[in-house]
Amino acid sequence: MTDLLQLVFAGLAQGAVYVLVALGFVAIFSVREIVNLVQGEYAALAGLAAVSAVAAGLPLLVAAVIVVPLVMGFAVLLERLTIAPIKHMTPLTSIILTLGVSTAVKAVMLLLWGPEAKSLPNFPGSDFFLGGVSIRSQELWILGISAVVGYAVIWFYEHTVRGKSLRACAEQPVAARLVGISPRTATVVAFAIAGLVGAVAGVVGSPIYLSSWTSGLTLGLKGFVAATLGGLTSLRVAMLGGLGLGILENLVAGYLSSGYRDAVAFVVLVLVLLFKPHGLAGKPTAVRV
Amino acid sequence: MNPVLKRQLPFVALLVVLASFPLWAPHAAVDVGVYALIYGLAAIGLSLLMGLAGQVSLGHAAFLAVGAYTQAVLVTKANLPFLLAAPISVVAAMIVALLVGLPLLRLRGHFLALATLGLGIIVTVIVTESEALGATSGIFGIPSIELGGRTYDTAEEAFWLLTPVVVIGLWLAVNLVHSRTGRALSAVNDSEVAAECLGVDTFALRLRVFVLSAGYAGLAGVFYAHYLSIVNPAASHFEVSVRLLLMVVLGGLGTVWGAVTGAVGVTLLDEGLRTVIPQLIPGAKGEVSLIGFGVVLVLVIILMPGGLAQLWQRLRRRMTPNPTMPGQHEHEVSRDEQRALLDESLQVLARSDHEPPGTTILQIRGLTKRYGGVTALNDLNLDIHAGEIVALIGPNGAGKTTAFNMITGVLPPTEGSVVLHGKEVAGKRPHVAAALGATRTFQNLQTFKSTSVIGNVKVARHLRSTAGLLRGMVLADRAEERHIDAAAQAAVDAMALTPLADHPIADLAFGKQRQVEVARALALEPSLLLLDEPMAGLSGPERDSLSWLLRRVKDTGVTIVLVEHDVAAVMALADRVAVLDDGKLIALGTPAEVQNDPAVIAAYLGTDDEATKAVEAAAERTEAEVADELTQVEEGAR
Repeated sequence: MTDLLQLVFAGLAQGAVYVLVALGFVAIFSVREIVNLVQGEYAALAGLAAVSAVAAGLPLLVAAVIVVPLVMGFAVLLERLTIAPIKHMTPLTSIILTLGVSTAVKAVMLLLWGPEAKSLPNFPGSDFFLGGVSIRSQELWILGISAVVGYAVIWFYEHTVRGKSLRACAEQPVAARLVGISPRTATVVAFAIAGLVGAVAGVVGSPIYLSSWTSGLTLGLKGFVAATLGGLTSLRVAMLGGLGLGILENLVAGYLSSGYRDAVAFVVLVLVLLFKPHGLAGKPTAVRV
Repeated sequence: MNPVLKRQLPFVALLVVLASFPLWAPHAAVDVGVYALIYGLAAIGLSLLMGLAGQVSLGHAAFLAVGAYTQAVLVTKANLPFLLAAPISVVAAMIVALLVGLPLLRLRGHFLALATLGLGIIVTVIVTESEALGATSGIFGIPSIELGGRTYDTAEEAFWLLTPVVVIGLWLAVNLVHSRTGRALSAVNDSEVAAECLGVDTFALRLRVFVLSAGYAGLAGVFYAHYLSIVNPAASHFEVSVRLLLMVVLGGLGTVWGAVTGAVGVTLLDEGLRTVIPQLIPGAKGEVSLIGFGVVLVLVIILMPGGLAQLWQRLRRRMTPNPTMPGQHEHEVSRDEQRALLDESLQVLARSDHEPPGTTILQIRGLTKRYGGVTALNDLNLDIHAGEIVALIGPNGAGKTTAFNMITGVLPPTEGSVVLHGKEVAGKRPHVAAALGATRTFQNLQTFKSTSVIGNVKVARHLRSTAGLLRGMVLADRAEERHIDAAAQAAVDAMALTPLADHPIADLAFGKQRQVEVARALALEPSLLLLDEPMAGLSGPERDSLSWLLRRVKDTGVTIVLVEHDVAAVMALADRVAVLDDGKLIALGTPAEVQNDPAVIAAYLGTDDEATKAVEAAAERTEAEVADELTQVEEGAR
């Protein structure tokens, strides 16, 4: 029983990182219908940059405060340079394009930081036991920060006029323009949010899950799976999906074999698409003819 | 020259170039060339997937790895000879693709791409974890290929062995693009809904192309294993998948030849980067050529979305002046000419197996569509009998097109049933209704924009022909293709579009494109023809000839249901008229009965002040204002 609780708790923390990445996918997809394969790289980049900042002598908090806005700016810059110039974006083009960007970013990270995985020092606090379950303070940091950032994103998209208007852009670009919402601004805001959640995921996750030039690929894929559970448009379902995926991965790793950890996300993806292709809560969108 | 023969010439040239390459090129170049050929083979398959199926695999290296590992195991552990092991390895890669594609290709959009990305990771995990497959060190000691007493153990020998394999692989792929399957999938990429309404089963065809593309990658894996004599987890790495993707994109999306030029281009690029980057950035290793791949991928998509093929096309167009000006050989077809043509055409296109007039062929019961709280169509009950023309009329928003969409399977109904020729079609895909003989045209044009008028019409012969993937690939479909050409020509003639047959459809006026849609529907030889506002955008004489044509088509036994706003034309043409208002059927009868129905008069003339006001308000905004606004929005989106 303690084992189970231990695995579930560790899974929750891991899942909270997936949640942040998943929110990044939803933030962009619900505005531009683009699956942004660079999403995982924001996290890897933020983690590695923070490691360097700390190594240069900056306090952890200062490093985090500097790195997160930098990665947000980087996300927006990449959007301006690569997504914005394309006139007719098809799903195929957007995939190839964002894959190209993510490949280049990965390679730059390999060049700058080398192939070894690095980690940030733990955030302040000490580990303790609760009912036999070992709880690391970093896991509490992850859960706490993810909850705050996650709810802030949901609140922005669902309860502010600005946030709601972003979604209107995806559904009715012409109408959105007519009521004064510029698709350009909407896209920039969406990418900034994606950069924010990705960077936060990278910084809070780095002490436990490490950061390396390849970590963005798997992290991105898992965030995507969580986002798919919400049909790529529901922030709330994506949050639950990320947590569920984290728990499931840890249970598989704990009870079967840690080698299969990375296969869980893929199996979940196939099963979800097979039985609930429009997400766990979603409905099929109508085709207009 | 015959276009099919003309297509063969470049293959001969390619064969000559490749076969002579090892004779004059230095050994190191031949060695690099072998890799280009191996990856090129996989890229041909990926190019089919991307160009034809409109899908992308981001983990195509996984299939190459499955082929390579299977081959390695069969050859080193089971001691199978090359010729026996190779087909098994290729099939193994295809089976993996089948298992992945079966659930995922039903869905539109990005899912296959992401799932294959995941597959790449999983294959890497499995081969790294598996002791039986040698874990991180892989399987080594794979012997060189031996065939007919000859050992292909040097780069030159391997190059000569691969040359015919690649040329034949390319030839098969190019044939596939020009075959019935290729035509149907290209149509799907232009308009999925129109292609499905002509009987194209998108899912089945996409799945086949995906499995085939994995087969190409598997075959590449077989040669990879023998040439390197070792297979390790690097075969399935992300970097290999990106390399393959870049080959296709650089060569030109949608052209199979591009995969081969792309393979050469990427291999040269890789070699160049490996020497240049360490000099530019001290301490950088060859792995950093990934930067180059990523950057080039992005640059090609932004600056040259058609890849090298686009450059080549531009160059050729500049070299050869435009031979025929569009419109040069156009002439108006006179009315008598057209009617003669039509009679000939209908002899080609008329089927003899129509049900006797009066039999109920379409039975609609309780058909309802709700969107949230809005009911677009409410409990429609209607029987359509063989050999009649039924018009569906009603004000805008009455639910006419919604009804069409549910009858043809474009939309699933909320409730109710649609029985066509005794079979339930409600909620099924459009190709099911098409296979039973029902096809349609569209209110908002759904033409296949990347092809010509005749190209559009040929897609409609999909259900009247049978050539599958293999027959198309080996050119065993020639006789059938001639029948398709003849039938498509007949349908074009029937609509008096003969002078425009070879024009790109996108160049045609709106009304003409509408007529092409009718020709396309006729070419399917339907038993039930559903026309959604076929008269819109047509001139007076064109409307007259269309009415005349529809009567002649009806005389051959075809049942016609049409939605139309031109009430005068409808009353003259239809045997029965069904009137919809606000989602409900308010009248059904002969034109004379319906015209005098008080409910119909009220629905059409209306007494509602608000409606009048809304119309006036809309009229205040001129078309120019709206167009201006739209341009601004489009610019803003950039």
